[in-house]
Amino acid sequence: MIQFDNVAKQFPLGNAALANLTFTIPDNDFVFLVGPSGAGKTTILKLILRELIPNSGTIKVDDFVLTDKRFRRVEKLREKIGVVFQDFKILPDKNIWENVALGMQIINAPANAIKIAVKEALRLVNLTGKEAFFPVQLSAGELQRAAIARAICGNRHIILADEPTGNLDPNTTWEIMKIFRKFEGKKTIIIATHNTDIVNSLNKRVLTIKNGKLVKDTQKGKYEL
Amino acid sequence: MKSILTSIRRTPYQSTAAFLVLFLNLFLTISIVFSLSFLYGLLGYVETRPQVTVYFQTQVSPTDIGKIRDDLINSQKTISVKYISQEDAFKTYQQLNKDNPLLLEMVSANIFPASLEINAKKPEFLPEIAAFLKKQPGIDEVVFQKTIIDRLLTLTGVIKKSALAMCLLLIITTVFILLTITHFKIALRREEIELWRLLGASGNYIKMPFIKEGLFFGFTAATTAFLVFLAILLYLNPFISSYLRGSGNLVISISSYQLAVWPLNGAFLAAIYGLTGTFGMLLSVIATVIASQKYIK
Repeated sequence: MIQFDNVAKQFPLGNAALANLTFTIPDNDFVFLVGPSGAGKTTILKLILRELIPNSGTIKVDDFVLTDKRFRRVEKLREKIGVVFQDFKILPDKNIWENVALGMQIINAPANAIKIAVKEALRLVNLTGKEAFFPVQLSAGELQRAAIARAICGNRHIILADEPTGNLDPNTTWEIMKIFRKFEGKKTIIIATHNTDIVNSLNKRVLTIKNGKLVKDTQKGKYEL
Repeated sequence: MKSILTSIRRTPYQSTAAFLVLFLNLFLTISIVFSLSFLYGLLGYVETRPQVTVYFQTQVSPTDIGKIRDDLINSQKTISVKYISQEDAFKTYQQLNKDNPLLLEMVSANIFPASLEINAKKPEFLPEIAAFLKKQPGIDEVVFQKTIIDRLLTLTGVIKKSALAMCLLLIITTVFILLTITHFKIALRREEIELWRLLGASGNYIKMPFIKEGLFFGFTAATTAFLVFLAILLYLNPFISSYLRGSGNLVISISSYQLAVWPLNGAFLAAIYGLTGTFGMLLSVIATVIASQKYIK
């Protein structure tokens, strides 16, 4: 479960990114974060990852209180979270198998467990058979699928996706969304997006952010600014 | 190992620079350590030679010489006092000139002076012993090597201080250069490091590849420096051997352990290699640890 309670974030120059944000995302929920550019969507994702620390308020992710000043278990927190980026962030000098395995290797998972998990993750994103390919040999859609495989590999039960379809054509966008939907009800998925079609078609929970404030929180919502 | 080689392939210029600076440092360090060991060995050798030799006039009887010898022993300032009779001196002469019968025909034992070869407990006693001997009757000549030992001691001291200063300068230079190179490498991998971090990598996990790479460079540079130095040493071996002919083994004392420096031997070379390897790895690890602590927050 992810809980934001009166969270406010101001950047050093004084511009407010978030103001008194309160919401709860239960386990295995599927949530879209929508809003205009600069509304604070990415800031919310960064706060969940504890890349940023709020100026006030409380953030809880499962048992972790991220706003506790004594909180030192950032690595343990991030072991639970898979991240998908707009620009994929697939390492160019590693093949797809190595890129997907990375998330488990860094937590020193046993080799056998990595082998099984990577195989399963690649199967779920339809990349079986492309393990030995290098990023340069794959299309943008395949790279994003590899990034999703990396995000789900190793029992990461929260998936944060920041504009995951921003660089993709409409057909590939839908392919990617189909993959995300495979994890519906199994993992907590938070997707920050500008894509109106996807949000309107999928009828999932929508958190609308505007000027750093939560202006709407609707189950089966639409993209409405 | 694979990740180290990949990193080298990705940053060939930085890697070559790191290797070369370490190689240069370690090669100079080996040269300095070897030269110092050699000099100390030589000093030790010279100190074990008779430091004062007194030659008596041919008419002085062995009994009188024995009395002088006893006085020297009783003075508690000598390690040993060896009597060389006229016959012993003649035998040594015969031995040295055995290939030249003409020189042997012309001499007999009674033209050689008897002598005493004296080893002092401390170099400071040498002038006192020499002064005592000069006062004795029947003395022909007193020869002592204080000047040579003093010069060697001064030379060794100067070289030791210069070497220490040089090593310190080399260490500081190397650490700073390696620190800068590691910073470059970290900067080039910033995106990858950022990704690792977001996926939950610990600080140690992120730093470890740079430290391992440092260890690798330290080890390979030390091995290369040692092999190059060994090749040079083996090339110069005949010249040094002919120069030191007859001087026997040069030995240095480390604590209570005696280590032969010359002729070249496995134990000394292994010690030099072990020392260089450890020093090289330590140096590069220190530099990479400082760099990664500073630049990977």
